[in-house]
Amino acid sequence: MAIDLKAVEQLATDQSSLKAAAGLAKPAKWSGVGGSPDGALIWGECAGSGANPYRVMADLRDLGNKCTCPSRKFPCKHVLGLLWLNAEAIVPFAPADTPDWVSDWLGRRRGTSAAKPANTVTPAGEKDLRTARTLEPEATQDPKDVARREAQAAKRNEETERAILDALDALEQWIGDQLRLGLSGFIDDATARCRRIAARLVDGKAAVLAGRIDELPSRLLALAAGDRPRGAVVELGKLVLLARAFRATPRGAEIRRAVVAAETRETVLANSQAPRVSGHWEVLAERVETRRDGLVSQTTWLLNLAASGPRFAMLLDFFPASAGRRGSVFTPGERFHGELVFYPSQQPLRALLVRREAADDTLTPEWPAPDATLNDALTRPLLTEPWMIEIPLLLPQGRIARDDSGGAWWRAADGTTTLPVAGNADGLLAGTELTRTAAIWSGSRLTILAAQSSWGRIGGHD
Amino acid sequence: MTEAVKAAEIFGSIGAVVTRWTVGSSAASAASFWRTELGDDPVEAELRMLALSGQFLGATVTAEAPSALRVLPDIPMLALPTVSEPLRPLLRRILAASKDAAPRKELVHFLAARGWTTHPADWMPDANDEDAPDVYAAWRDWSAFAVAGAVTRRRTGDQLTAENWEDFWPAARKAALIGLRRRDPSAARALLEAKLGNENAEARLRLVSLLSERLSGDDVAFLEGLVANDRAPKIKALATSMLARLGHGPAAGEDIAELAGFFAVKTKGLLRRSRVIDFQTPKTPAQWQRRKTLLDGTDLTSFAGALGLAPQDLIAAWDWNVDPAADAGLVGLIVETGTDAQLAQAANIVSEHDATGLIVALAPRLANAERARFAAAALRARGIGFEMAQMIAGVAGRLDDPLSTPAGVKLLAEIRRDDAKPSDHIAEFRALGLLASRTAAQQTLQRLTAAGLLLGDPRLDMLRLNAALDDQGETP
Repeated sequence: MAIDLKAVEQLATDQSSLKAAAGLAKPAKWSGVGGSPDGALIWGECAGSGANPYRVMADLRDLGNKCTCPSRKFPCKHVLGLLWLNAEAIVPFAPADTPDWVSDWLGRRRGTSAAKPANTVTPAGEKDLRTARTLEPEATQDPKDVARREAQAAKRNEETERAILDALDALEQWIGDQLRLGLSGFIDDATARCRRIAARLVDGKAAVLAGRIDELPSRLLALAAGDRPRGAVVELGKLVLLARAFRATPRGAEIRRAVVAAETRETVLANSQAPRVSGHWEVLAERVETRRDGLVSQTTWLLNLAASGPRFAMLLDFFPASAGRRGSVFTPGERFHGELVFYPSQQPLRALLVRREAADDTLTPEWPAPDATLNDALTRPLLTEPWMIEIPLLLPQGRIARDDSGGAWWRAADGTTTLPVAGNADGLLAGTELTRTAAIWSGSRLTILAAQSSWGRIGGHD
Repeated sequence: MTEAVKAAEIFGSIGAVVTRWTVGSSAASAASFWRTELGDDPVEAELRMLALSGQFLGATVTAEAPSALRVLPDIPMLALPTVSEPLRPLLRRILAASKDAAPRKELVHFLAARGWTTHPADWMPDANDEDAPDVYAAWRDWSAFAVAGAVTRRRTGDQLTAENWEDFWPAARKAALIGLRRRDPSAARALLEAKLGNENAEARLRLVSLLSERLSGDDVAFLEGLVANDRAPKIKALATSMLARLGHGPAAGEDIAELAGFFAVKTKGLLRRSRVIDFQTPKTPAQWQRRKTLLDGTDLTSFAGALGLAPQDLIAAWDWNVDPAADAGLVGLIVETGTDAQLAQAANIVSEHDATGLIVALAPRLANAERARFAAAALRARGIGFEMAQMIAGVAGRLDDPLSTPAGVKLLAEIRRDDAKPSDHIAEFRALGLLASRTAAQQTLQRLTAAGLLLGDPRLDMLRLNAALDDQGETP
């Protein structure tokens, strides 16, 4: 089944979509491109501005399509890009089994599955393929303008920094107030109090820190009532450390990531200091959480299957909750060969997916051995980033045990360590020896992402 | 002060520090060990103290595990193998698409009929899941064990005897008893006679119902004992129904004459005179209700006797499709109280008439091969859909070439229609996937995809699973 470029042009909502699609119709932007053997379905993964790629799929019989990006345009530039790749045969669409995510979309589709001529799509506005393809010449820049813009940018940065420092002053003042008013009152009224200071931090351009404080009450409430005063001290203490660290190095990328904003994808990709790691990765889990600030965070945890290198990678994206539910990009348990670029850090964790090759099931199912003693793994990251809230861990052989009230605990096979587990950890997870367990340690509880056992891989329980 | 001494001192004081902050008191003064680090400014000292205490508490203090932690035993291996790794994602998808318990139950029974079980990470039965295939008994007991908080494991798999009865968890015991009943019906009954009295009514009901396997005249005395002596009305009713199946119905009461009044036996034909039941149609809703109540409360032998007929003659003389309510009543009687031979006779007659609904009612007591035969016949001759056929056939149908039946021809025509939607006929495709033999599933997939469906279409998931699953089940 073939489509021509005219159909892509007609499908585009406007000229800018078409232009963007032309930019995406390049092999380097895509991975996992394939099609059903009858040629009716095509799919692929397109690198977007986030850490996770977008999953793009289209039914060539009626040009029905879907993309996991949050764009409000329909079809988005990624779909148009995929169709463009297909129309011009820019990359081969190798016949393959339809991936589950494409089948799931097919099952949810409304409307007709029968072939509908593409030309019934009403064109909106004037669009032109030729113009879309042409590269706009870079405007020659007047050195004076450049200097003026740079000066303005420097001034803006200075103002932003001042605003952040003022906001951090307000934060420390607020923390001192919570201590003076008593932490028991703070725990009871944490949601409202945190909301107020978070709003102040948003005004002060410290958006990431504001998001963290907005989520503080839910972390606190997840603890047993008796453990909340300790939890409040730990949380507020980390905020003091963060504020002090920012004052010490306000331009440091790592601290700015924790307070202001992460670097853009382009910045990270262009940074020669950002470590690039090519290897085999296993998708441990994907967590999608709606935050109090109206953003949805999508976190994909990857395990590096190589013997050395960063053990974990975290692909983190945010999108507005109003953009609706977003499809998963990875299937837990899937393995692939790919290249990641890590945000520069003393302990690289957050990363972007640069390139992903086809799924690879030929690898041994064994996970690598933990590369540090458990005690070391629990505390070492705090030496460089004492404000860290979540520490990913690869645990040695162990097993789930239960206390009298049904609470779950992970117990090391050698009996040296026993850690409380978040949630129920029931079913198979509790009924077999776990040879390896990947989990997140939040300072008080383990959240199991996945485990290996004689039954094979077991997904964690949220 | 050495590091170790300092750490011990911090440990000793940190509780008091947290308590002070909890009530809003200053805490810096309680931490002499950090005097240098905290400095002289009291406001600054509290913040520094908070940072240090937070780090200390976060890095070194975690909840202490209770001394008595309980570890569950390993989830046991089952007698049938787990579906292969490549098929698990497909199976998970089908499970996820089944929002109700009924389709999930069908799926796991289908797998068991083909000789497979699920991976425990994909599906496990609850302890109380009586509908789960018997092969999962060990997992049900594992779940019961997990919920009960028991500390010792009981046995599974051994030969069940009166002596080791208590050593078995309920699901394993049930599975062992079914096995024993199949091998040695008298031994199973004797075991029940010995142990039933110690079980509660619900457990007794489940155990007695197992006697329907290889039910015979040898069971009469035991069943009569239950009717006479058991305390639970449900068990008395079950035993009565089983006795009726064996031709030992209760003595007909006065009601039976009243029921017989709704029917008359007439003769028809000039040369080969045969008897036929004539329906005295009830005239008021109250009469309809009364007839239904009377039919529900009797047994086949008594009813036939009241009309002066043997049960098999009543079934032969019944005029089907004239009075659907009476048809349903008689079929109900046959299912509850008829012998296997009477049931087979009724099924054969009903399948010749256009009364598929009645076959569905009779099906659960028929052997798998019979169910499949009736389903195939109804598909070809009665034009029923795959969903109905699957209800008749159950999960072990293994039908050949279902697409050539009228239902298949219709389905093929409908998916080719211009206004066909991707959500059309979901239930029909699923039933088709459960009904077909493995070879038929493979052929059906080819024909459906040739007709325009995509192989990745989720409606074809059940067919794809069937086609890919090696059929290792017992075939009749």
